[in-house]
Amino acid sequence: MGQLEGRVACVTGGTRGIGRAVAEAFLREGAQVVVSGRDAEKGAGALAEMGGGDNVHFVVGDVSKQEDCEALIQATVDRYGRIDILHANAGGVVAPSAIADMTNEAMEETLVWNFWHTFWTMRAALGHMIPQQSGRIIATSSVEGKIGTPGLSNYVVAKSAINALVKTAAKEVGTLGITINAVCPGAIETDAMRDNAPAAAESMGMTYDALKEMFSGASAIKRLNEVEDVAEVAVLLASEAGAGITGSLISIDGGTSPY
Amino acid sequence: MGKLDGKVAAITGGTRSMGRGMAEAFLAEGAKVVVNGRSEEKGKRCLEEMGVGDRAVFYAGDASKQADVEGLVDFAVDHFGQLDICCLNSGGVANTAPVAMMSDEEWQLEMDWNLNQVFWGMRRSLQHMIPRETGRILVTSSVEGKLGKPGLPGYTAAKHAVNGLVKSAAHEVGTLGITVNAILPGLTETDNLVENGPGSAAAMGLESYEALIEMFTQGAAIKRPNRISEVAAVALLLASDAGRNITGTLFPVDGGTMPY
Repeated sequence: MGQLEGRVACVTGGTRGIGRAVAEAFLREGAQVVVSGRDAEKGAGALAEMGGGDNVHFVVGDVSKQEDCEALIQATVDRYGRIDILHANAGGVVAPSAIADMTNEAMEETLVWNFWHTFWTMRAALGHMIPQQSGRIIATSSVEGKIGTPGLSNYVVAKSAINALVKTAAKEVGTLGITINAVCPGAIETDAMRDNAPAAAESMGMTYDALKEMFSGASAIKRLNEVEDVAEVAVLLASEAGAGITGSLISIDGGTSPY
Repeated sequence: MGKLDGKVAAITGGTRSMGRGMAEAFLAEGAKVVVNGRSEEKGKRCLEEMGVGDRAVFYAGDASKQADVEGLVDFAVDHFGQLDICCLNSGGVANTAPVAMMSDEEWQLEMDWNLNQVFWGMRRSLQHMIPRETGRILVTSSVEGKLGKPGLPGYTAAKHAVNGLVKSAAHEVGTLGITVNAILPGLTETDNLVENGPGSAAAMGLESYEALIEMFTQGAAIKRPNRISEVAAVALLLASDAGRNITGTLFPVDGGTMPY
């Protein structure tokens, strides 16, 4: 008997990386899962690999667009009849640089991708969860939402904003059977990190390998985290046992964050 | 196939409340468990109620005494051959008071029970875990480890201190396959609270036990006490293989009470 039998989940950015691991863990625990991504081909490939049959569904969409975020929540409800769990997971960094050199576009696009997407999907999901008086919302934040790394200000600001949104939202709906939490992973070598981090490293004046060493060196475990670390915590938060955990910014970072 | 097959856990104060919840969660996943408490009679009853035969044993001892805390760790190693998970869970207050009225005796008890226990148990466990390069240490801290309420100065100071100890220890052994974490529950309606709550309420100048419950849960988003099962589920995650990369974390189970 899975911990999420009968539950319906939606995971943004669910075709790879952390979102994929979360989607697979939710499936394993008996949930029906909708994953989103920008690329229909990658979505089809992910579905085939996950092997969840009718219990997993892909919706193509760009989380940097409000209408796509809202359509995704509606598509989840249309497909499986309800939404119990939202994991707003998509995100990343656009054109990181030192603040003195940062463009408006880099700041704005990073905020939209991470923070605004979380807000849009959360608001739409709450529209279903508040009437049913139950729900779980999880946001993928980052250790960067708790500390400030030079050269990553747009990402740090976006993740910090997500943490603040989570804490406020948790208090708004705390007595309605809805919990809202953020997971704050340390660096994980996902596809997204391989895509984004070399540019981030360059903006910080170092190589990609040196960047990875900088992240793991700040941890107690001296290695990067893994996507499964986040997936297991997401299952806990989404399950019945997570009913008493809300407004928490949970560090999954091998001991990196100071709090 | 349990998540803790072949693992051995020792839990201070494991005969009831949160420790008991952890013991049962670990047993359900295949672990062997040593529970501890001061009363032989309560220990015997706890073992009967858990009903897992020789997979659970009781070690009588006072978690505010160094010899008993170290004795629990040594007993677990002797009895089951190893110790994989040490839960330093016992704690509380006896006759707490505002700072101006705090006796030396109460202060010392609160330090021994809440802080020194954790140090004694952690040190002894690490001496066993470091050579084996594997282990999990879980400390039951509290929201009071980040906050501070009037009338609970010793408890609050001790819980702040264990959070620091956990973070420090996590960095010391982070590359040795050993994780060290604290769980920070909000008010949880345990046997201990039911027993000591009325006295604490009086010390804090509150009218009743109910007023105490309300005071401690009004800061929570969920406006209710936490449940033992919620704490136990987090303990299980941290104790299992799934928790291998989570360390130095102060894990909240507080219904949205703490500001950070």
